Amino acid sequence: MNQRLILALILGFLPGVLWAHASEQGFVLLLPTDFYIGAGVASVALTVVLLALLPAWVAARLFAPLAVVAVRGVPLRHVTSLMSTLFLAFLVWRGVSGSNDPSVNPLPLFVWTVFWIGLVSLQGLLGNHWRWTNPWTGLVALLGWVTGSRAPIRYPRAFGHAPGVVIFLCFAGFLLADPAPADPDRLALAVGGYWYLTLMGVTLFGPRWMVRAEALTILMRAYGRMGLLGRARGRLAVGLWGWQILARPRPGFGLAVFILLMLGSGSFDGLNETFWWLGFLGINPLEFPGRSVVITQNLVGLIVANAALIAGFAVCLWLGERIAGTRRPLGEAFCLYAPTILPIALGYHVAHYLTSFLVEGQYVVKFLTDPMGQGTDLLNLGTFYVTTGFFNTPGTVKLIFLTQAGAVVVGHVIAILLAHALAVRGHGNNWRAILGQAPLALFMIAYTFFGLWLLASPRGL
Amino acid sequence: MTTKSPKTPQSPTATSRRGALKTLAGGVAGAASLPMWARYAQAQSAEPIKIGFQVHRTGIGAAYGRWYDRTTQAAVKLINEGGGINGRPVEIVAEDDGTDPKRGAEVVEKFATQHNCDIGFGTLFSHVVIGSAPRAGELKLPYFVVSEGTHVSSGMLNRYTMQPGITDVRSQVISMAPFITENLGKKVTMIFPDYGFGYDHRDNLAPAIEAQGGEVLAKIAIPPSETSFTRYFPKIPRETEVVYHVMVGPGVLTFVKELGEFFGGRGPELFGFIDSLEAVAMDSPGLEFLEGSHFWEGMCRHAQPDESEYETFYRDAVGVDARGASVSDPTDVSTYGHMFGCWETLHVVKAGMEAAGYRGPQDRAALIEAVEGMTDMPLSQAHPQGAKRFNGKTHQVFGHQFISKVEGGMLKKVHTTSIEDTLYPDEVDYTTQSF
Repeated sequence: MNQRLILALILGFLPGVLWAHASEQGFVLLLPTDFYIGAGVASVALTVVLLALLPAWVAARLFAPLAVVAVRGVPLRHVTSLMSTLFLAFLVWRGVSGSNDPSVNPLPLFVWTVFWIGLVSLQGLLGNHWRWTNPWTGLVALLGWVTGSRAPIRYPRAFGHAPGVVIFLCFAGFLLADPAPADPDRLALAVGGYWYLTLMGVTLFGPRWMVRAEALTILMRAYGRMGLLGRARGRLAVGLWGWQILARPRPGFGLAVFILLMLGSGSFDGLNETFWWLGFLGINPLEFPGRSVVITQNLVGLIVANAALIAGFAVCLWLGERIAGTRRPLGEAFCLYAPTILPIALGYHVAHYLTSFLVEGQYVVKFLTDPMGQGTDLLNLGTFYVTTGFFNTPGTVKLIFLTQAGAVVVGHVIAILLAHALAVRGHGNNWRAILGQAPLALFMIAYTFFGLWLLASPRGL
Repeated sequence: MTTKSPKTPQSPTATSRRGALKTLAGGVAGAASLPMWARYAQAQSAEPIKIGFQVHRTGIGAAYGRWYDRTTQAAVKLINEGGGINGRPVEIVAEDDGTDPKRGAEVVEKFATQHNCDIGFGTLFSHVVIGSAPRAGELKLPYFVVSEGTHVSSGMLNRYTMQPGITDVRSQVISMAPFITENLGKKVTMIFPDYGFGYDHRDNLAPAIEAQGGEVLAKIAIPPSETSFTRYFPKIPRETEVVYHVMVGPGVLTFVKELGEFFGGRGPELFGFIDSLEAVAMDSPGLEFLEGSHFWEGMCRHAQPDESEYETFYRDAVGVDARGASVSDPTDVSTYGHMFGCWETLHVVKAGMEAAGYRGPQDRAALIEAVEGMTDMPLSQAHPQGAKRFNGKTHQVFGHQFISKVEGGMLKKVHTTSIEDTLYPDEVDYTTQSF
């Protein structure tokens, strides 16, 4: 198997989606990105106009799922979860004992590339695999079965999703502001420690801990609502991304806030690399002094970005309800429309991480062919050199950029469609729905511009 | 200093958990690869020489880091195939510094205290070198940098920090002046980014040009965050014969394109540093404006007709083709003008350790003295870039520089400087500092 084939496999893994690096930046700046941004924003705006002209039922009809096959519960999920636990234990052990090079040690490769980029994207694009890949549920079931005991403490109802929100912000802080989130030793401590604390949480408070406090499970379950595949009336069904959002009840306030944090943190993850942000901090973008210099700035930025997003979103909803003349409380609208943010967050997640996936994915392949670093070649690759050549030719850079931009635009179009379907359902009247949705639609159009601007902006790290 | 005494096996003073796990893993690995280890049977100890490799895996240096790693791995493979150092295998202990000075110092500390490395090696970015070197000095860890910075020879670092495998910016810049004034023109305008890297060029080139009877007409500093350059070009004086440009960063392709469009092929001669276009293919669209212009190269990316057998061997070992790109992907252009420094530095370390009869950390000072004692290094497999001359007082190596002309998307070598062209007066004598 040659290297190009491997690359093709990696590229094929995420159908029609791609993202960035150092010399690639130079070619992006030569692209007519203003035109692409204009076209992307126009597509989203056009969606709004079309929805105003088309009959009210169109958006809802687009999301109608197609039931495929009747499936019974697959009992193997605890077994696969246990395998996932064992693999995680292996990774943490290698994190401590293996190479200190984050491109060689499997722990950072699997946590940041396979899980955070690959599995999270797959969850949103395809459907809920976390049911089988979660590294806690199998062990918890096994422990419960062996000991026969139940959780001694009832999870306090008043907590809601608050612990999950706090833990997610800690996770985002680690990802964005820690000086060395990929350092194998450091990551082993963080991953092993978090895994153990979660196990304790579930043991003490029962499974509710998993769905209210375990941030990754909350994130995965939220993205699971985005997937093409899902369940409808006991059958496996397939529908347009987001169909499950319309099929499910609206989330509680804590989960709604969590969903906004997913987008806010993701957006700041792009913003904090731009020349604009570095200039704002007074840092020379060509001589970035390293992450250890901007820890506080990144943490403050993360909080401010999230607060600004939540405030902006809430103001748009408030305005919309005023214009439409409904008497729906703001909190209710906030919870109802928050899931429409998911496709935007997912599109941006895919776009933002595409380029690092293209590079780091090759290091994952290198690991797979030689898992213990002993010079084996299980995949029969021969001499395997990691390449970043696709950042060096204008054609591939253009393809990568347009794929990223495509992911962002598609995410926003779906968000607009979802918001419209929800508005129609709530107002029962197309015209009122359009009026009420207008501020949120404008917000999403503006966010399309922001997302595409982030992709096209020169970056300093 | 150089008498060899029987090796007493090093016993780690403290057994860490990592150490214990490594020993277990090492036992398995050792048993599985016995023939390899058998090669070192003649050595007093088969315990490896541990070289802490401070690599820019993440951060702004990552593109360079990948090639520095590839060159380092190739050099170590070669050294080990040849029997290692003093009969002992070389082991690379890589740590990512995030291209971050603070982490760089932490990494150096880990090399010395956690991994029991014999030396630290491989740092490229100047700010990381400057942030890490003081810690290396405090911990008495020989620290071999591959950074091109003039900070080593300027005297701002310490006796434990050396740069024996790559020349520094000052010597590169001053050695360009004779060629520029004799062949391209005496009236020079400089365009450079408005920060330290640009100032190194500004401050070193102007006196060198003036010493050759030339004149620097204008020094145009461009803010680092700039991404469009057209408005700066009218500042280039009309009588300019040569534009000396050293732009770096994501805007560099735009810069070249706009400069080309501004002059429309009828402007002054262009002279640049390959740093601007390191890892970028010369036949990329937009770079056609560079046709006929000249570049400094630390090592000629495109194979020249008179390429030495040693350089051909080096290309092959690193996996780089005749255009300086990866053998497995012709679009993956290497950082050819810089990465040879890792290869040559490791060979200097080998020679130094062998001259010092290096056994372990107790011989670190002897290693430094052995390298300080080095002078001429001939063109060889260990020095494929060319002959070098090491200055033991300033801890800096000097060597030939190349000037290439872009012809049909190829970089064709038109001038090789002498080593004398690159010399400048000593500013420090590190050998007077105590260990």
